Amino acid sequence: MVATEDRRRVGSRLQILQTLLFVVFAILGLCFWVLQIVQHEKFEEMAENNHQRTLALRAPRGIVFDRDMQVLVVNRHSYSISIDREHTKDLDHTIQLLAAALKVPEASVREIVDRHRREPAYRPITILQDASLAQVAAVSARRLDTELQGVVIMEVPTRQYPAESMAAHLFGYVGEVSDRDVADGAAKSGDIVGQSGIEKIYNQLLMGTDGARRVVVNSVGREIRTLDEESPVEGRRVQLTIDLDLQKAVDDAFKATPFNGAAVILQPKDGAVLALTSLPAYDPNAFAAGIDRATWASLNTDELRPLSDRAIQGRYSPGSTFKMAVALAALEEGIVTPDFKVYCPGHANFYGREFKCSAAGGHGAIDMRHAIEKSCDVYFYTVGNMLGVDKINKWATLLGLGVKSGIDLPNEVQGLVPSTEWKREKLGQKWYAGETISVAIGQGQVSVTPVSLAVYMATLANGGTRVTPHLLKAIDDGNGWTPAPTPPPQSTIDIDPEKLQAIRDGMWMVVNGAGTGGTARIAGRDVSGKTGTAQVISNTGRAQARTTKNLRDHGWFVFFAPRDNPQIAGVVFAEHGIHGGNAARIAHHILDTFFAKQDGRPLPPPPTDLHLDMSDPMARRQGTESGRAE
Amino acid sequence: MFERRLYHHLDWALLIALLALCALGSTTIYSATFDPSHGSSHRYIVQLYAIGLGLMAMLVTVTFDYRNFTDKSHLFYIAMVVILLAVLIPGIGHEGKGARRWIDLGSFNLQPSEFAKIGVALVLAKYFGDNRGAPQRTDLLVAAGLTLLPFLLIAREPDLGTAVTLLPIFLAVAYLAGMQMRILGIMLLACVLVAPVAWKFALKDYQKSRIVTFIDPSQDAKGAGYQQIQARITVGSGGLSGKGFKQGTQGQLRFLPEVDNDFIFSVLAEEQGFAGVLVALGLYLFVILRSIEAARLAKDRLGSYLVIGVLASFTFQVVYNITMSAGLAPVKGLTLPLMSYGGSSMIATLAAFGLVLNVRMRRFTN
Repeated sequence: MVATEDRRRVGSRLQILQTLLFVVFAILGLCFWVLQIVQHEKFEEMAENNHQRTLALRAPRGIVFDRDMQVLVVNRHSYSISIDREHTKDLDHTIQLLAAALKVPEASVREIVDRHRREPAYRPITILQDASLAQVAAVSARRLDTELQGVVIMEVPTRQYPAESMAAHLFGYVGEVSDRDVADGAAKSGDIVGQSGIEKIYNQLLMGTDGARRVVVNSVGREIRTLDEESPVEGRRVQLTIDLDLQKAVDDAFKATPFNGAAVILQPKDGAVLALTSLPAYDPNAFAAGIDRATWASLNTDELRPLSDRAIQGRYSPGSTFKMAVALAALEEGIVTPDFKVYCPGHANFYGREFKCSAAGGHGAIDMRHAIEKSCDVYFYTVGNMLGVDKINKWATLLGLGVKSGIDLPNEVQGLVPSTEWKREKLGQKWYAGETISVAIGQGQVSVTPVSLAVYMATLANGGTRVTPHLLKAIDDGNGWTPAPTPPPQSTIDIDPEKLQAIRDGMWMVVNGAGTGGTARIAGRDVSGKTGTAQVISNTGRAQARTTKNLRDHGWFVFFAPRDNPQIAGVVFAEHGIHGGNAARIAHHILDTFFAKQDGRPLPPPPTDLHLDMSDPMARRQGTESGRAE
Repeated sequence: MFERRLYHHLDWALLIALLALCALGSTTIYSATFDPSHGSSHRYIVQLYAIGLGLMAMLVTVTFDYRNFTDKSHLFYIAMVVILLAVLIPGIGHEGKGARRWIDLGSFNLQPSEFAKIGVALVLAKYFGDNRGAPQRTDLLVAAGLTLLPFLLIAREPDLGTAVTLLPIFLAVAYLAGMQMRILGIMLLACVLVAPVAWKFALKDYQKSRIVTFIDPSQDAKGAGYQQIQARITVGSGGLSGKGFKQGTQGQLRFLPEVDNDFIFSVLAEEQGFAGVLVALGLYLFVILRSIEAARLAKDRLGSYLVIGVLASFTFQVVYNITMSAGLAPVKGLTLPLMSYGGSSMIATLAAFGLVLNVRMRRFTN
């Protein structure tokens, strides 16, 4: 009977086991139902985050052309190295390894990561832009053995500017968008935007739209395949008014001198900028791929201030180049005629003070044309005194001096032509008539930017239209080139052609007669111009500190050509260039190149010797309190 | 020996269910180890060979009356203990992944611990089958000793996972043999009491961390908890119908390790979805219930005990592995019988089911 009892027990216990297993499998089924059906969406998203990665495809910025469609700024390929925190298992460890692989200090990598720490984790943090091939190789090698699985190497388009820092201030540079611009919503974090020059002003045109690529990555971060791709849209192609050949000529001419300085060359009829230079320059290519701290610091602390664009941000005393403004004011106000003569004994006394002329022996009886030609200070002291400062201010302003030119470059500064109102408002003082004497020869409080002198020349050349200098010629929106509208002139004055002709004649004689600008002469081209010298410090201070180069006078040359129906107008500013004649020598090469190109002749080779006059004339003028001019 | 009429009593349904699971496993191995850049791996072919060998082993275990096996169970047991001892000897035992579990047989490695399950099932069936009535305390102690000897040898390899699969054999057979529920309760209580001691002295750090991370996987999301989280993602992202054959991302892109082995069920769940899971669960449940049926139909207690002993470790492993595949149990190196990649396991499992078929087939013979 034990056997049957045994059998019964086995049967019932098997029944219990069977029921138990039913329950266990039902629970298992339920678990899978919860995971796979109820929570499916959540896990599906997690799985996608696991294996999908969105890579930003940086849009190439628009290519920049010159007026003849020669390429100025292009893009090249570079590699950037970023950390993708979502796929990094141990960020600290990754930073360590990455810094070692890149051979950069760990602290700097950590600092970059910290700066972006608050951004969403899916957005990779760029650690290094424009990595060298060795660095790319070092990172890829380690990525394979899974050490650096959160590190992404991306090929990105990078700006390439012309060699030798040509027109650096004109193009400007690009860099990572600032936090403030991100807050403004103008760009998103990590975007590369224009920071100065046309890159900044036309950033919206040039920037393009970044694309994105969704890729599948495996557990060690290797890309397996592309899911979909939204191509980046290249920035608009932009044509500038710049003439590359002329721009080169400006740079070449400066290179043949020891001077820094600036030059702005305009097309007088509409203000199109043909060339714009500021020296010393920086290499915008250094910014294109993220400038390193040391270079940035040295650019910022350099006494020569290479980051400042002297053409639009440098304020200097115009010296004798200001005389045409005084002459025009006197003629248009009807105070004198071109034939009005002044006797110049080499000095003159106004309000009890002695003012010297540029020629110690004096010019004798001299009319306006010759006063411009010889740069007779006494003539302009006299005329200026008759005019008064407010009339000088009025006409100088109409010619573009002491005001912003409105050029399409960022951070232009304003010069100053004083007036009684200005002095009352700014200094709260009365204007003394004696102060007008210095103003009449472009000294005293008068200060101008090179670009405003270029506008001044263009206005005299085109007969009174104060054109707005501009750089944008045309835009290619993808459907061909659309010319950019010419910005309207800032003001227009009706100048009596006869009076204007007297001034032009005087300027013509400066270059083609017995004047100080003979070095700019080009046979048959009727170059008309005016030299000027701007004192760096007062004559008294000069006596002691004369030896250092950076206390020498600045040299100016303003010009247009040909005298009748001018095609080109501009200014050359030779910083510490001693004489205006040295600036005229630089202008000569620019004009020579301009006319050679216009005629279809071979362009003149870069000058090697400009026969500069480096003699310092200050000794003989020592002890004078007066202004002076050439 | 095999008699012609026995052919008609063979449980074809169980055999077909077993083969279906083998096919499902091989297919999933093929999919999981497929690499788009290198094509298919050879693992599924190795698995097919193992299935072939397993069927041959099954033929052997079906052909001879199961009583022939149980009668010689002491010999099998001794041989098993000797081999398990041999595995521990450097030079004979083959080392891999930090443990000495295999014997190198030239073309393939044999894992004796897989066969130990059969050995223990045979010896316990024989031991309890010879007794009449409910087992006495001494019987239980002897049986427990017979189980613990191979258990300790396997745990020494170390392979605690496989060692633990021996315990259900003892529990199931003793239970069926009439072990009092009170003793079962005492044993469970003892386990609870021993657990903290074991935690302190017996468990290795990695084992502790596995248990800790099971309780809170996010605590170590990139380390030990990683696999568990990934397992849940893998299963959960499969949805109702799955991502499709070879289309799984979690398995294909190796976010989950051991895709052809410990986590093969996760891959199945990802690629075939809840539908595939139900099919697989159904097949396993069918195999288990059909085997319990065989135990009920067995003509003697010996047969019932043998079937239940074999089935106990199988069922334990299936349930544990599937739970772990869903990220619902601590990660332990336990394979899924019939589906996971592994020759020794496949051969031993099919041989064991040969015994199950054997018992059912000979229910009418004397």
